Amino acid sequence: MKLLEIKGLTASYGAGPVLKGLDISVDEGEIVTLLGSNGAGKSTTLRSLSGLVPNVSGEILYRGQSIKGLKPEAIVRLGISHVPEGRRIFPGLTVRENIILGASNRKGVARRVLEGEVDEMLAFFADLKRLEHALGWTLSGGQLQMVAVARGLMAQPKLLLLDEPSLGLAPLIVQQVFRIVESIRSRGTTVLLVEQNAHMALSVADRGYVLETGTLLVSGKPEALWNNPQVRAAYLGGGGAHR
Amino acid sequence: MSDFLQLVFQGLGIGAIYALVSLGFVLLIRAASVVNFGQGEFSMLGAYLLVVFFNILGINYFFGIGLSVIIMAGFGLIFAYATYWPLRFRGGLPVIISTIGASIFLQNMVLWIYGPSTVPIDGLFDSDGFQIGEVFISSQYLAIIVIAAALVLLQYVIFEKTLLGKKLQATSQDKEMASLLGIPVVIMIMITFAYSAALGGLAGILVAPILFVSVGMAGIITLKAFAANIIGGYGSIPGAILGGLALGIAETLGANYISVPYKDAFAFLMLLAFLMVRPQGLFGEKISEKA
Amino acid sequence: MTVLSGQGLHGPGANPWRGLPQAVLAIVVVVIGARFAPAQGYYLNILMQAATYAIGVLGLVIVLGYCGQISIAQAAFFGIGAYAVALGTVDFHINFFVALFIGVALSGLCGLILGLGTLRLGGHYLGMITISFQQILTLVLTNWIEFTHGPDGVRNVARPMLFGFSFDDGNTYLALILAAAVMVTLFVWRLKASRLGRAMQAVRDNELAASTSGINVYGTKVVAFGISAVLGAIGGGLFAGGFRYISPDQFSFGESIVLLTMALLGGVTSPFGALVGTVSLVLLPEWLRFLKQVYLAVYGASVILIMVFLPDGLWGFVDNRMRRRVKPVTGDVPPLPLLAQSGEATEEPVLVVEELAKHFGGLKAVDGVSLTVRRGTVHALIGPNGSGKTTFINVVTGLYEATGGKITFVGRDITTLAPHNRNRAGLARTYQNIRVFRGMTVLENVMIGAERQGNDVAHDPQAVVARALAALDFVEMRGDAHRLVGDLSYGHQRYVEIARALASSPHTLLLDEPAAGLNLTEKVELGNLLKRLKGHGLTIMIIDHDMNLVEQVADHITVLNFGKRIADGKPQDVLSHPDVIAAYLGEPRKHEAA
Repeated sequence: MKLLEIKGLTASYGAGPVLKGLDISVDEGEIVTLLGSNGAGKSTTLRSLSGLVPNVSGEILYRGQSIKGLKPEAIVRLGISHVPEGRRIFPGLTVRENIILGASNRKGVARRVLEGEVDEMLAFFADLKRLEHALGWTLSGGQLQMVAVARGLMAQPKLLLLDEPSLGLAPLIVQQVFRIVESIRSRGTTVLLVEQNAHMALSVADRGYVLETGTLLVSGKPEALWNNPQVRAAYLGGGGAHR
Repeated sequence: MSDFLQLVFQGLGIGAIYALVSLGFVLLIRAASVVNFGQGEFSMLGAYLLVVFFNILGINYFFGIGLSVIIMAGFGLIFAYATYWPLRFRGGLPVIISTIGASIFLQNMVLWIYGPSTVPIDGLFDSDGFQIGEVFISSQYLAIIVIAAALVLLQYVIFEKTLLGKKLQATSQDKEMASLLGIPVVIMIMITFAYSAALGGLAGILVAPILFVSVGMAGIITLKAFAANIIGGYGSIPGAILGGLALGIAETLGANYISVPYKDAFAFLMLLAFLMVRPQGLFGEKISEKA
Repeated sequence: MTVLSGQGLHGPGANPWRGLPQAVLAIVVVVIGARFAPAQGYYLNILMQAATYAIGVLGLVIVLGYCGQISIAQAAFFGIGAYAVALGTVDFHINFFVALFIGVALSGLCGLILGLGTLRLGGHYLGMITISFQQILTLVLTNWIEFTHGPDGVRNVARPMLFGFSFDDGNTYLALILAAAVMVTLFVWRLKASRLGRAMQAVRDNELAASTSGINVYGTKVVAFGISAVLGAIGGGLFAGGFRYISPDQFSFGESIVLLTMALLGGVTSPFGALVGTVSLVLLPEWLRFLKQVYLAVYGASVILIMVFLPDGLWGFVDNRMRRRVKPVTGDVPPLPLLAQSGEATEEPVLVVEELAKHFGGLKAVDGVSLTVRRGTVHALIGPNGSGKTTFINVVTGLYEATGGKITFVGRDITTLAPHNRNRAGLARTYQNIRVFRGMTVLENVMIGAERQGNDVAHDPQAVVARALAALDFVEMRGDAHRLVGDLSYGHQRYVEIARALASSPHTLLLDEPAAGLNLTEKVELGNLLKRLKGHGLTIMIIDHDMNLVEQVADHITVLNFGKRIADGKPQDVLSHPDVIAAYLGEPRKHEAA
């Protein structure tokens, strides 16, 4: 079943359009990845989905209903949670406070219940337990990413938008992040993943889209993208295999 | 000695006023990252509203206070809409200048309507106060101290203990991220401004019987509340209180024992000294930028 | 704050005296015009007010517009100048210009003391301290009656005589102050495109990057504030002579706000904006006088409307429309002479770090790390997030003070040197989160690097431009030389940052995660760039998590974990070290080998 369907999406921030008629669809339970170079429009796609881009045209259907033009607060209430580029952890709040605020889209849930869920999150992301009361600005990159994902999951999303989760992380942590992405899917959450690390992204994704300057270059299964010479040359470093 | 105690009490009362005005400041700084130079005008407007309800229309005093505070809350929304909302993505300075513009506007509108004369107004109690030993306790000052203490406690609990407080802080730190989490950013900002204006109005009403009501009544208080805020620690609630009290006592003692004309200078000298020696204030934390 | 820049940008072949004839002409025209114009009474006063205020507002352009520091005491400095002239000529019977000089010196001194006290700290501290200074000055002017005449003010202020020529006549005096205003405007305008002006703007846009680009941040801020206090006093002194009567309320907090509003209304990053803003706000209340009592209220409302609808001020509005017609830089530029020494990797140690420690409270971010970087090599520093790599670089470049240990760079102990002095010694860096000067053009950004003190081209403005363009050629960005950096994409900003470092001809370049956010193909290009740099004899230290890149370029690797060194040596040895695999690399998964 189609969870998300984007047809002819065009978006602009005032200057020129960043997206020019993009078509993307995501089925329930999938991990779909968006690849492409800087400025290709990957992050803008996610920002358009979560209501952060004011000028969008085309169709954005979520469970068959249009969410175009809704405010970010309304979209997250429908079950689309966005973990943005740069993690955006509130620097002056503690890890625990950051995580519990992830549930701000859920109305009428008792504080006690939410605190219990935070405890589960802290147990799931084992490294965070000891940092529970640390302020956001004191965390390292890997810790920030874990808090950002935990906070995103507190919204109990149907669809999680993950923007560059591996950016600036050590190889070991990158592996951990992608294991978490897989476990998120196994919890029943669909993931739309934007990544520069194509190796890792394609290793967990069911399908991928490659964007170039706001349009779709090619899409398909990971193996098909790996073997596409055009994609290899432009985004996968060309040449032979890497480790 | 009794002179000294009397002065300390009086200083505490004045300090409580600074603390009260300072609380509104701190709220806007912490929940909206706004330095509001129109905060004093909230106090002036609140006092004038009470003049209208009580002195002119003859409405019950306490009912009049309630009405004034509610109207001030509504006024805070208009203030936010005019001075803050259009500039919210443009950093601190444009908003500061626009609140200064609002302050000039409000002062002169009131001046136009009421003229420059000062208006006396009744206090909360019929009795002026009572004697403890040789110290005279003024009932209005005592009320200010008690109400300030209660409001401080309330604000502290809201910010540190409730989810609402955390949402307010999150909104101040990153509006876009807050909206992505489903925090109603506009409502958070509206709450902040409404509460801050109501608080400012209440402060004005409480000091009105002491200072009388005039267009300029809040100008110097606002600057000193600002000084109190820095002395206590920029943006810190307990800091705003202690800074306000310290300032009130220092200038009351200074005026009595050193010089009356330079009474207002003590606050700013204290501020200068703090900025040079301990710029983070009493309760402030030194936050170093992560490179 | 929105910023503008770009007037008077040097092209290749810039002449420092360019514009001088026009300037002289402007002064002559203004002086003759003022001397013989039939301006009388009311209009004369308006013109005198506008000209003297403008000088004060131009001071704000320097401190706020160029250097980004908020000063809310310009009326106080204005008042110091005014009172020096008034009391000097009336009570002490000294020459007008001597009195003016005393006022200017006093004001500059006050500015210096206030600046030295607070400008070491960032943020709004200057704004706060200037508010206090303003209040105290007003109280002193009002209450020290024996000396200042108190609230009554000072009457019959004298106008000057110079070489037997009297400026007593209104029009003659107006000519004098207009000439002064024109000269100050030109000074402020020329300052913007000067080395000091660029340093101020760099400080405004990014203090940390300015300090590691060789700019003395604290000194630059103090100088900017000092100049602004001096200009304030000049304006005030001339004001006192013009109106012949002054009183404390003319120099109150409210007037400081008026001056600040004038600067912002006109456009605070341009001297012409300051003029436009001053004239508008001098005239606006006059135009609004028909509104009688409400005119000040309308004035207050206008301030809000201006902030909302003219974000860059009146001048910014004009300037934004003119900016589109900037020509691209063309012409031949010599190739970038990066370094004098040969490109051979040698055993000579360049950067020697011994037992370096940095503690934050109880946290030992860097805990006794030693390493040696050798000339002409690429030395990689890797380790888990939070292992202390960036802290290490911050201590080496001087942004953090070392808790313990010793850093030797090219044989010199730099452990306690300020960041700008380390840069001047030849240590350049880039940042994990790009730090460029967003309000300046690409070329200006790179010129900041080229003109670092100690660079071979630093004293020749033409050579600075040539070096900057050569560095831009090296990263293939010359076509964007006149674009604002803030308008560029992330990847291009990264290249500007690298070009800025290269233009300073460093001995050693520290790169903090240069590959973050690049796709695989871009990473390959970056790797090639680094190899080319190494070929030019540059020593490079790189932090990155991309092991392909590190393997491709590194000659030597040091691994940190929890602030301690856990491995150090040749790449193949370090990357197969079991501790490094356990703490950092993890086991490569089958999928990745696709």
